Amino acid sequence: MSAPTPIAGDFLSLLAAHNVAPLRVEASPNAPVQLQATTVFGFHFAEGVLMAGDRRATAGNLIVTDRVEKVIEIDSTSVLAIAGVPATAFEMARALQTSFEYYRRSQLQRLSLPAKVRALARLLRDNLPMTLQGVGVVVPLFAGLDFTLTPPKPQVFFYDPLGAQFEAVGYAASGSGSGTIRSILSYQEQFGQPRPSQMNLREAVRFALRLLMVASEFDSATGGVNPAAQTFATLKVLDAAGVRTITDAQQAEYINP
Amino acid sequence: MTEEPYRWLEAVANRREYVREQLKGGSPVFAAALPEGVLLLGVGSGHSKVFELFDRLALAGLGHPADIEKVRQAAIDAAHVEAFTRAPEDVSLRRLISFGLSAQLKANFEQIYAAPFLVELLLIELGIEAGTDAIFRLHFDGAYQLQTGGVGVAASQADSEEECRAWLVRELAGKADRGAVVDLLLQAWWVLTEKRAFGEALPAVAERQAGWRAAVAGKVIEIGWLARRGPRAARYEPLTLAQVGL
Repeated sequence: MSAPTPIAGDFLSLLAAHNVAPLRVEASPNAPVQLQATTVFGFHFAEGVLMAGDRRATAGNLIVTDRVEKVIEIDSTSVLAIAGVPATAFEMARALQTSFEYYRRSQLQRLSLPAKVRALARLLRDNLPMTLQGVGVVVPLFAGLDFTLTPPKPQVFFYDPLGAQFEAVGYAASGSGSGTIRSILSYQEQFGQPRPSQMNLREAVRFALRLLMVASEFDSATGGVNPAAQTFATLKVLDAAGVRTITDAQQAEYINP
Repeated sequence: MTEEPYRWLEAVANRREYVREQLKGGSPVFAAALPEGVLLLGVGSGHSKVFELFDRLALAGLGHPADIEKVRQAAIDAAHVEAFTRAPEDVSLRRLISFGLSAQLKANFEQIYAAPFLVELLLIELGIEAGTDAIFRLHFDGAYQLQTGGVGVAASQADSEEECRAWLVRELAGKADRGAVVDLLLQAWWVLTEKRAFGEALPAVAERQAGWRAAVAGKVIEIGWLARRGPRAARYEPLTLAQVGL
């Protein structure tokens, strides 16, 4: 049958063996204006982790679309939130989705959380030439379940564009609107009532939507939330049971106190 | 040996006989298409016999664990590369078998100086709607057949396998309860492993049920379930006897 992969269960090395490895492109000095996707964030609340993103993609001063899904379920226990160039970020998400499932199916066990975190770091490092040339920069957030704890506990990680990863104690944000978001999250965590970590699901969803509304006032690349126009965010909850999506209908219900 | 055609034919025939002899004691595996999904079942002694391959694909097999593992790994590799380079929707069991696994197994079987694969396999693709599932029977020599009637059986003896399959097609008709289906598959497993007949001499239900319960002591019953509806692309989940109500 087929030759074994260099590292058992490693999907990227299998792709390399077929010469279809992702993120292996040469950058051109005449690269066009890049599409950008912002803003994403995640924070711990009482029931787990909430990962959120607006749905706007821009190219320079142009709004390209307000229908981008920036918070992506990678597998049943991990979520990627992307800020940066969607072309690269979506390819990273696809590579991770296939890698994690490939490992689980071929090795008959799930990949550990540290290995998942490093898998994304490896993709960011592979993207280093593009990052250094200012083309294809991605600064993602990642949330996954730590199965070494009982019950399994969700954790949030943020990265720099070169692939360094850091665990977020309370929250993390990325993208052009992240300054505003981080400021409010910091304030709420120190002086708010309730603190984000004490919020129930309804409160956490409402808080996340309001964060995006405020961020969009200061950053034109952040799409914000407009219930009157049925424009909502992409929200996913990660708890001990896994990933679930907060639908537009749920957001419409939760946004009002 | 290979310089004369008839010697090559003789060598292949010997090889077929050798493989069948090696597989004689193998524990049969089953697949049954139900309205809500496809159920796979195998009874083993520590080595797994039922596996997830891809979002809607699964495998059950008997034979040498190392050979099952090679086929399983080849199928998983091919399915994931296809899904990544094209799309998960482009991964189909028909293409996986006819252009990949079957050709590789046949080539291996006819290379008479290499060790043959000691496997008999069932490969299953979950359909979008009931009645569209595909159950393929893949043999050690690369030959394969699409199984009709929503039932697949892989056993070491061709005659009893076909008798068993025909009996299961009749018995499973209209059944939707997973517990009842698992019970019937285990009855069939017991009849096959006890080398009983499926005709008029078939033991009564009570004897069959008591038989499988006694025979599985110390063994592992593996049940795989491909769910037709679900929130995620991956539809396979392993089940226990308790989960199906037995």
